[in-house]
Amino acid sequence: MNTAIASSPDRQPTDWSADAMQRRIRARYRAEKRFRFYGLFAVLLSAGFLAFLLVTMISSGARGFTQTQIALPVNFPASDIFLEPSQLDGDDRDQLLAQTDFQGLARQSAIAAYGEDGPAFLSNGAWVLLRDAVSEDPSLLTRNETLWVPASTEVDFAARGDSGMRQSEERDTMSTRYAELEAADQVRRTLSWNFLTLADSSDPTLVGIWGALKGSLLTMTITLLLAFPIGVLTAVYLEEYAPENRWTDIIEVSINNLAAVPSIIFGLLGLAVFINVFYLPRSAAIVGGLTLALMTMPVIVIAGRNAIKSVPPSIRDAALGIGASPVQVLTHHVLPLSLPGILTGTIIGMSRALGETAPLLLIGMRAFVATPPGGFTDPATVLPVQIFLWSDELDPGFVEKTSAAIIVLLLFLLAMNGIAIWLRNKYEQRW
Amino acid sequence: MVIGFAVIAWFTARFRAARLRPLGGDRPHSLPGYHGWYVALWLAIPALLFLTVWSLFLPGLVEQSVLLDPAAQNLPASQIERTAILGEARALADGSLTAAFNEEAEALVPAYQEASGFYGVIGIIATLLLAFACGAYAFLRVRPDFRARNRVERVVMWVLLIASLIAILTTIGIVASLLFETIRFFERISIVEFIFGTHWNPQSTTFSDDPGSFGAIPLFWGTILIGAIIAMIVAIPLGLMSAVYLTQYAPAKVRSVMKPVLEILAGVPTVVYGYFAALTVAPAIRDFAVNVMGVSSASSESALAAGVVMGVMIIPFVSSMADDSLAAVPGAMRDGSLAMGATNSETIKRVLIPAALPGIVGGVLLAVSRAIGETMIVVMAAGLAANLTANPFESVTTVTVQIVQLLTGDQEFDSSKTLAAFALGLVLFIVTLLLNIIALGVVKRFREAYE
Repeated sequence: MNTAIASSPDRQPTDWSADAMQRRIRARYRAEKRFRFYGLFAVLLSAGFLAFLLVTMISSGARGFTQTQIALPVNFPASDIFLEPSQLDGDDRDQLLAQTDFQGLARQSAIAAYGEDGPAFLSNGAWVLLRDAVSEDPSLLTRNETLWVPASTEVDFAARGDSGMRQSEERDTMSTRYAELEAADQVRRTLSWNFLTLADSSDPTLVGIWGALKGSLLTMTITLLLAFPIGVLTAVYLEEYAPENRWTDIIEVSINNLAAVPSIIFGLLGLAVFINVFYLPRSAAIVGGLTLALMTMPVIVIAGRNAIKSVPPSIRDAALGIGASPVQVLTHHVLPLSLPGILTGTIIGMSRALGETAPLLLIGMRAFVATPPGGFTDPATVLPVQIFLWSDELDPGFVEKTSAAIIVLLLFLLAMNGIAIWLRNKYEQRW
Repeated sequence: MVIGFAVIAWFTARFRAARLRPLGGDRPHSLPGYHGWYVALWLAIPALLFLTVWSLFLPGLVEQSVLLDPAAQNLPASQIERTAILGEARALADGSLTAAFNEEAEALVPAYQEASGFYGVIGIIATLLLAFACGAYAFLRVRPDFRARNRVERVVMWVLLIASLIAILTTIGIVASLLFETIRFFERISIVEFIFGTHWNPQSTTFSDDPGSFGAIPLFWGTILIGAIIAMIVAIPLGLMSAVYLTQYAPAKVRSVMKPVLEILAGVPTVVYGYFAALTVAPAIRDFAVNVMGVSSASSESALAAGVVMGVMIIPFVSSMADDSLAAVPGAMRDGSLAMGATNSETIKRVLIPAALPGIVGGVLLAVSRAIGETMIVVMAAGLAANLTANPFESVTTVTVQIVQLLTGDQEFDSSKTLAAFALGLVLFIVTLLLNIIALGVVKRFREAYE
């Protein structure tokens, strides 16, 4: 056929300079450019989405690290509380402090300073600060002292000129009052460590992430202690020892499957096995750590196998050749050489576990935890779950706190991944 | 304590083995360190095993001896009350409770303390005896010709094997726990109604298991609409074109910057995406639907918002799978096409993508399986109402949302709602498993075709 066409006498050579041909070529080049542009557009759109997400979070979260404070002049001697500094030297100091009506004191002082609606300017938890101040310095009780305490969410919103969810009239009065306060230097905005040192609370001006952070830390400790050794041992077994038989196949298949199972299934497993069969305490760091360890282990196994596989066989042969035993080959040569790769995989697996929420919701780590957990069996919550819980809150003051918590979480993940990349670049050898 | 003894044993045995060296004519078979390990393992493993077994039996033994105590004679006969009182007495005895609710419990405290002290001492003595007996046995075998190395390595081998069995145990655990609860669920609700029913409203069933409320079709449809349709409409073009651009067109510098940037998208925790979808994307889409499209039924928990954000999350998966598949196409095919005068884009569209298609399809299937198992985005951005609708501006719900919803309430473990969550989990598990198997099969066949 082809030869027939080629030798056919009526077939002319293509006239490339003809108008039709030129148009075709131009059209093809345009299509080429267009296609290239689509590609660039797709990349930029994806990157733009990431940038948009980060900018949204940072712009709405940056305020979460600050606190609007209001000056509260407290006249301790003239107040209704009858405490003497000397009384606080005894052993019953805590009890005395607990019995004293600081809440009323805060109310009184606010009314004295700002009129009838004064208490509305203070955060609901402002009295705790009064108590702590007195506990720290009992001599306060004999003086007239101005303390800076957290302002209420409404004042906070007025401070930023944000409507929040209030009615417009209320908002306007609050704005004018705020302007007056500001002119009198009675409010200030400061960077506050409170967000990093406090735990969950129902009042958005007094919440912090230390409780959740500590929960995450405890959970991750359990996860690391379980997943890392088991993962590395499994990887070593599969790469160095496993005979080629059905058992090995089953182990490999189940590891690959586990790596692909949706995380929520691990939550169901944790609920059914750890809580309902082993009766471990609900919402404790130990159950969360166990569940996440099962989830992280396949990641470590797969990364570990790749790292071990990349150690050249000549090194093993050389070591065996001069009389090393298999375990010596492993501990003296193969493991040290593959350790950077294993650690990189471990960090990546751990960072995934740190951001995981769904399985922990199922095992009950969504409790309201107002005091940081003290141990592995105390009720705890973790950073991502805390974000989820705050995102459900109706109080608009939680929006910036949620975003601020997200910033903290992203910073942690960034640091972990940065370490992983650094490790890989510094220690990885190409054979 | 046992570990401490094992460390001591390691040092003494190592020392002794080191002293052996000059005595024998030849060199000893194993290095001193191996003798140390051998003795230490012999000392620690049986003792620790015994301790574990002992601590399993300990509560039972203590309880039995408490029941023999005269103070226990007037306990109520009913099993439940008896266990309650015993539990309270135990809590009192170890100090985790300070005041008793039942008076009988108070009376049992001394007996409890005595019994647990007694059995505790017995346990410690037995453990120590066992440790020393085994350690001594091993220690006596430290001789120049003793093959300590081979024995220790066999133990290491067993440890490795046991570690790798944990993966199998986990898989079995998942399948067994899901299956067990699902079977109990289907004893109450018929399987046909679960799979083919179109009405899902388990929150309305309080005590009676209203059989009309467990039809899961709306959930399956919602999952497919969000995870397999909307998310893929976003992720496939963006991911594929990104991969094409980055592998075929982009200068090396752009590639080295943009590839990690896209990978960050996969590393952002899903709860962050969920918050972003609920806070920013969903209201924007609702306003768009109401004001521009004129869809009055638009919900602020629309399927579209969750789907779009999920699609963005999936972009890096599609992109990296497409990247791999394009790289696996032999260079000769590409060069041949270019040599025939085809432009780059024609080569990509007519040669590279068709050749890489099985790999790309496999990647898309993996992405779908990830999308339908994704939880937090849909929990935070998609709704709870089980609507059977194709309108992406309306609210739908998914399998994962319902699992979370059913299990985070305060109901007892046996209710149909809780069991339904496990049935949904089993469906999810099977579907993602099948998708993964098919996808990996496709990718594998595709790789082999070009090797």
